[in-house]
Amino acid sequence: MNEGRVEEFTREIAALKTSGAKGDTEKRLLALGSLLMIAGVVLAVIGGVQVAGTTNAADQMAAIATGGLLGLVLAVVGAALFLRYSIGRFMRFWAIRLIHEHRSETDRVIAGK
Amino acid sequence: MITESILELRNVSASYGAIEVLHDVTINVRKGEVVALLGPNGAGKTTTIKVACGLMRPISGSLHIAAQDVTGVPANALARVGVCTIPEGRGIFPNLYVRDNIIMAARDRAGIGIIEERSYARFPILKERRDQLAGTLSGGQQQMLSLARGLATDPVVLMLDEMSMGLAPLVVAELYEQVTAIAESGVSVLVVEQFARTVLGVADSAVVLSHGHVRYVGPADALDDETLSRAYLGS
Repeated sequence: MNEGRVEEFTREIAALKTSGAKGDTEKRLLALGSLLMIAGVVLAVIGGVQVAGTTNAADQMAAIATGGLLGLVLAVVGAALFLRYSIGRFMRFWAIRLIHEHRSETDRVIAGK
Repeated sequence: MITESILELRNVSASYGAIEVLHDVTINVRKGEVVALLGPNGAGKTTTIKVACGLMRPISGSLHIAAQDVTGVPANALARVGVCTIPEGRGIFPNLYVRDNIIMAARDRAGIGIIEERSYARFPILKERRDQLAGTLSGGQQQMLSLARGLATDPVVLMLDEMSMGLAPLVVAELYEQVTAIAESGVSVLVVEQFARTVLGVADSAVVLSHGHVRYVGPADALDDETLSRAYLGS
């Protein structure tokens, strides 16, 4: 391999775009799900208070739209994210536990022979 | 400017979901050097290779190639510029002819004839078998084909995962002779191997992994049996 190839390689590597280490995306999405759920419930409560605090039908509709509907959407999306990532984590630990138990069982059977 | 280090993993940690399998791993491969990555099953050797070739993104730490931080660059982009990985199980196309397997990996399409000649000069048996389906080759010949295909990409970094798996000792010795020749031509080689003695004979440096931690880094000939046994069998 000649030096020209190494220089070409270095040039091409330098031209690549990097995006860095990924961090724990799963943890972040789990936290985002929790936050969205809380925000949704808070919005719904605020909407409810606003609706109860006015007799103006237009203000009540606006409060229902922001508090009720937006809050509901946020809570549903948040709950979906939370379930997806908390269940994913739980299932992985569960699978590892099953594998571990299965191996221990195999070892016991072999030892018993 | 070319620095001496071609491939470097700096304090890399990697995980599968919530389970961290590599902890603060640092590996350095210099130009034309053969580095053996050793360790028992489940030590994290293949995961290290996955991080080094861009298939897996670390959760912390960084990957440097030719002194550039390339953490997060996808494997296909790295492969295109000359980072070649030969996976465990060879990764050839069994339903294609030997010749097709080689030329489809050619980096420079204009030089297909030259690449073929170079491959056949290195592995003469492949010339005899060039019109044979790759899946009908013996295990050793398939491994030669995967090496030839890797070299057709004109790599600067070559990573080999468990090259000797399922092969006869004579074939393995022949393959490692080729690995030495490849490194002498200036290619940096990172070899993952479970059978330590096989690779230590040709490697310049060794890294021993155990449970995702680096247990030894240093010259291959300074790696003693006790360190190896501790890594493989526990203290």
